[in-house]
Amino acid sequence: MKNYPIWKSFTVVSLVLLGIIFAVPSIIYDENSENWFLKNKINLGLDLQGGSYLLLEVQLDVLYKEELDNFVDSVRLISRDQAVKIEKIDIQENEVVVFFGNKEKIKDIRDSFFQMYRGVTLQINNNKLSIKLNDEYRKIIQDSAIKQSLEIVRKRIDESGTKEPLIQRSGKKRILLQLPGVKDPERIKDLLGKTAKLTFHIVDNDNTSALQNNLAPFGKIIVPDMYDENTKYLLDKRAVVGGENLVDAKGSFDQTEGHAVSFRFDTEGAQKFGKVTTNNIGKNLAVVLDGVVITAPRISSAITGGSGIITGNFNAQEASDLAVLLRAGALPAPLEIVEERSVGAGLGADSIAAGQIAAIIGMVLVCIFMILIYGTFGALANVSLIVNLFIIISLLGTIGATLTLPGIAGIVLTIGMAVDANVLIFERIKEESLKQKKVFQIVKNGFDRAMSTILDANITTLIAAVLLFAFGSGPIRGFSITLSLGVVASMFTALMLTNFLVYMYLSFANKKELKL
Amino acid sequence: MFGLNKIIPVEPNINFLGLRRNFLIFSIIAILISIILLSIKGLNLGIDFKGGTLIEVSTKNTSIGELREILSSSYSDVSLQEFGNENIILIRLQNKSNQESIETVNSVKNLIQDKVVEFRRSEFVGPTISSELLFRGFQAVSFALIAILIYIWLRFEWQFGFGAVVALTHDVLFTLGLLSILNVEFSLATIAAILTIAGYSINDTVVIFDRVRENLRKYKKLELVDLFNLSVNNTLSRTIMTSLTTLLALVSLFIFGGEVIRPFALTMIIGVIIGTYSSVFIAVPTLLIFKFRPQDEDD
Repeated sequence: MKNYPIWKSFTVVSLVLLGIIFAVPSIIYDENSENWFLKNKINLGLDLQGGSYLLLEVQLDVLYKEELDNFVDSVRLISRDQAVKIEKIDIQENEVVVFFGNKEKIKDIRDSFFQMYRGVTLQINNNKLSIKLNDEYRKIIQDSAIKQSLEIVRKRIDESGTKEPLIQRSGKKRILLQLPGVKDPERIKDLLGKTAKLTFHIVDNDNTSALQNNLAPFGKIIVPDMYDENTKYLLDKRAVVGGENLVDAKGSFDQTEGHAVSFRFDTEGAQKFGKVTTNNIGKNLAVVLDGVVITAPRISSAITGGSGIITGNFNAQEASDLAVLLRAGALPAPLEIVEERSVGAGLGADSIAAGQIAAIIGMVLVCIFMILIYGTFGALANVSLIVNLFIIISLLGTIGATLTLPGIAGIVLTIGMAVDANVLIFERIKEESLKQKKVFQIVKNGFDRAMSTILDANITTLIAAVLLFAFGSGPIRGFSITLSLGVVASMFTALMLTNFLVYMYLSFANKKELKL
Repeated sequence: MFGLNKIIPVEPNINFLGLRRNFLIFSIIAILISIILLSIKGLNLGIDFKGGTLIEVSTKNTSIGELREILSSSYSDVSLQEFGNENIILIRLQNKSNQESIETVNSVKNLIQDKVVEFRRSEFVGPTISSELLFRGFQAVSFALIAILIYIWLRFEWQFGFGAVVALTHDVLFTLGLLSILNVEFSLATIAAILTIAGYSINDTVVIFDRVRENLRKYKKLELVDLFNLSVNNTLSRTIMTSLTTLLALVSLFIFGGEVIRPFALTMIIGVIIGTYSSVFIAVPTLLIFKFRPQDEDD
């Protein structure tokens, strides 16, 4: 072996060995292995192992609107105290404009209001008071809503029995979910699609004209029945007690009522509930979930134990899902699903099988072609190519990257492109061999001259791959990862491994002349 | 060994640059047709960029016609397509709002439940997301072109950067035009394919430019046209070899890689062919616009 440094051979051989050894966990692919070594396997993306990807958007507009409604209620209360008549209230997207009957006390009203709410801009114009939500205030509402939503979503997903979910904030007002192995995405979507705001209200049975005119007086609301839209109830707007005071909820079965949800209040909730039921015996108590009345039983006696059941026309699944929702708590605002990608396990397995076949056949074709064109040198390049594949796999496994279907495409593409560096070198060697006779000099020149071209060519491909990673999403990122790893690995295998193999071959075969 | 390497001569001498006018006219016509097609016919946008719902099912004892009948009674804008084999059917629906789409998936599933063996995949992309994805895809391609231009500019003289970007733009437009004619679905994966084509094409171009630069130093007296011809010929066997191995891998992906990946593989195959062509017939002739020689002689 002429002029081939030992340290270099050692580096090449050990890197190759590491590449092969660390590919083993991904090739064996023992799903449940706890072994520290076997755990370094490739993560399969949702499109390969099956599962659901969901992107949810928190409906912040609902919250802003709610806050504006609160403003209206407060202004009404204040002006009632001050005995000022309100002529008209105009609720716009981001502000409330209140028109008063006279403008004498408008400043007092403004000052009292300002004591209650800080993050608002108040403006008086003649008899008009406009109340506007400040940007910072909106931001506070937004941040706390997202934080709370994340927590509730996490609880609901955990309760649904999904293993290893990934739940994270995405951008300003979105939540991203990756749920591997989910078989029934519709159920998950149902669980997430409900706000699950539970409140208890006293029913007003005396004021029948309000229901007839469909016009709720101040402090009351009209709420439809869950099962029959035409049945409506007139309720106190103020809730007696709400879902936030629940400590437990379970699906249960009642001999007479069928499937139901039994619940238990915390101390505060139990006290409130006890007091209200004591004072309102004979009246009805409506259980309202997300703006509809589930049931409105008559209070026959005081309930002081702090627990009860909710009955409705539930089946077993509905009752247990409602219990899950109540345990997890209410979302601050509704969530809208803006993107969904669900793949069944069958398609995922098919994709893996097809990807493997494509990779193997592509590999065999390229190898045959290389041997046909470059003979022994082609065979040496093929060794590099195979090692290249092992290195990609082991890198994917050790950095914990996720392999997606486009990722497999990236690997197959890399197989075709990885020989490029070898081809560049061999072509240079071919040219050099016309100029001189010294075998080792030819090889050395070939590698040296090809070097800068290889670097330039691969760096441009890397630029495209990195930008793809920066701007791409989900599966496409998987493609850019395998492509980048493939490019880097192919530079190593061509410049180091092929180089090493060619020197070895020439030394041992004791070639006196070189024909390529 | 098998003597096959003799197919490509070691020192070929083909007058590529002599043919440049013919190929230039061909490319200009192709690009014009592509632009016209893109503005009139447009691309066959998939749900990633158009928004909507897609459901892939495997069926039993039923036909695509029967399913179409069941679904078209409830939905006006529904299209069905066999996907790979006659038992696998792809259902596409357009919806106006996010809420509607979510309900659609449910109700479609209920309607055809008893005909279906497995719901293989369901995808839904809302209108806000699809326009965001389109914007980001456009962003990625533009930034990639700019970044590559800057890199070439740093490593070579700016004239080379110009030639490379002309070739790249040519490749992207030409590929998009062919995708439009062939009605290939344009999805996120297509954006990935286009960026990879950009990377591949530039890779090819850089190898030839590298040789041009080297030859510019080596042969001070040679006419530019001859020098460019020599450079293309020097690198010809590499250009052909790499394109062929890449195409071999891609054809394998196209045939065996499964139905989902097929549009991606097809786009890449088209792009690799166009990218290889443009490196030789577009990128190098573009350099003729510039007078390299006088500067060199000044040194």
